[in-house]
Amino acid sequence: MQLIQYLINGISIGSVYAIIALGYTMVYGIAKMLNFAHGDIIMVGAYVSFCITSYLGLPAVASIVVAMAVCMLLGIFIEGLAYRPLRGTPSLTVLITAIGVSYFLQNAAQLIWGTAPKNFTSVVTMEPLHLFDGQLVITGEVILTVIVSAAVMIGLTLFTSKCKMGKAMRAVSEDRDAAQLMGINVNLTISTTFAIGSALAAVAGVLLCSTVPTLQPTTGSMPGIRAFTAAVIGGIGSIPGAMLGGIVLGVIETFSKKYISTDFSDAIVFAVLILILLVKPAGLLGKQTQEKV
Amino acid sequence: MLKIDDIHVYYGAIHAIKGVSFEVHEGEIVALIGANGAGKSTILKTVSGLMHPRTGHISFMGKDITHTDAYQLVRHGLAHVPEGRRIFLQMSVQENLDMGGFTQKSVQKEELDRIFQLFPRLKERRYQVAGTLSGGEQQMLAMSRALMSHPKLMMLDEPSMGLAPILVDQIFDIIKELHAAGTTILLVEQNASKALQIADRAYVLETGNITLSGTGAELARSDDVKKAYLGG
Ligand SMILES: Nc1ncnc2c1ncn2[C@@H]1O[C@H](COP(=O)(O)OP(=O)(O)OP(=O)(O)O)[C@@H](O)[C@H]1O
Ligand SMILES: [Mg+2]
Repeated sequence: MQLIQYLINGISIGSVYAIIALGYTMVYGIAKMLNFAHGDIIMVGAYVSFCITSYLGLPAVASIVVAMAVCMLLGIFIEGLAYRPLRGTPSLTVLITAIGVSYFLQNAAQLIWGTAPKNFTSVVTMEPLHLFDGQLVITGEVILTVIVSAAVMIGLTLFTSKCKMGKAMRAVSEDRDAAQLMGINVNLTISTTFAIGSALAAVAGVLLCSTVPTLQPTTGSMPGIRAFTAAVIGGIGSIPGAMLGGIVLGVIETFSKKYISTDFSDAIVFAVLILILLVKPAGLLGKQTQEKV
Repeated sequence: MLKIDDIHVYYGAIHAIKGVSFEVHEGEIVALIGANGAGKSTILKTVSGLMHPRTGHISFMGKDITHTDAYQLVRHGLAHVPEGRRIFLQMSVQENLDMGGFTQKSVQKEELDRIFQLFPRLKERRYQVAGTLSGGEQQMLAMSRALMSHPKLMMLDEPSMGLAPILVDQIFDIIKELHAAGTTILLVEQNASKALQIADRAYVLETGNITLSGTGAELARSDDVKKAYLGG
């Protein structure tokens, strides 16, 4: 029973990673860059939600909507200001800029909200479910997290396979010049990608802080790195891959914390990443690049 | 219809196009021939807005498009089938065609029917991933995809590249058919003899300059062209 409990907790935290990983993977697939600052958008989203509920006393749902909107604009703004001018420059330049943006966001949060951790109130009010005479506890946060991440994945899959904009994103990700020749506005497509990814980061931030309630300027950085790892494990650029990678990573992390060592859980997670990549270099669901005839 | 006026195009420090001027009139087939590296593809990329000239002007349908971005030109009726086809390999045939019709408001039922009539092979492979098509089928898809935007001018960059002779003939027949249906054609070809056969007029490009021009028949008879591009 204990084992199942850990599995459920692992899937739950893994689902948060999955939502973050979806943002990473979309931006990587379409803009061909590692948005290192993606994790810090999570933190901004959580702070915005915190402010709306704690200082303005508005309901949780309103706080999530505002957090999504703020992060969306922030994502578009960062892309337009910091990354777009560097398009076409070596990827290392863009990566260093992204690391700079990440520190900028953390420092800005420090200035605005201070370094002292805030105590985030969970957005979930549901009572935990007690199953098997209380041997198994499923919290409302777990249920919400799993449902939201599944919905996000299904939504994104439908969006990229059915909607015009979603298909345009896939076209841009495959061949930017050819996409332009179809009449697709590449800048607009990349902005949209950042907007979606950042809105998802806000959702992830709220879910994360509902489960782990300490909120500080560095809150987003470790989950960001784990989610990036998840995206790579799953196969970067792949939507189901990000989901699978997130959950695999969450479960491994939870089990190693419980059964091996809390201190080493991150090292174990990265060891698993390296093992998976040795066996499957493109990640679990990574696309095998097709050769041109 | 298309007027190119003394354009100079650079790749960084490389001066690829050194003052090229030419015109394409409505209803024509114009061929651009020249050796590898002469700058043929660069000219097409510059016309379609993927690149911009450092100096000089380009106008299309009376509008200055020198600095217009590629994605906007599609709406003006300009289509560019790039070198190497550049279809979306991970998308299905149908999705590639959908992308071709990206600028159109409604679903292009009639256009699809017309394309599938021209290329029955594509209809059979409609839901197949484009990366698994043969080279010839990929070229057909690249042309069909461009047709989905209802182009007034279609620019084709080496449509016969890497195809078996029978397929080359088929592709050229289709170009003639599209032309007969009212599309103006600007054709870049290595296969100079074929290109000159169907072209109303043609230009010869050598390392960034136009060195010869005339009707297709004139150039096909010219000794210089025969020696350099028609194998004697
Ligand atoms: N991306 C690039 N960067 C630098 N130089 C380039 C680039 N693309 C083309 N060039 C150079 O510009 C010149 C013209 O190239 P272009 O591709 O237009 O030739 P082409 O006539 O289409 O040749 P081919 O028949 O081989 O396709 C060549 O000297 C080429 O080396
Ligand atoms: Mg070329």
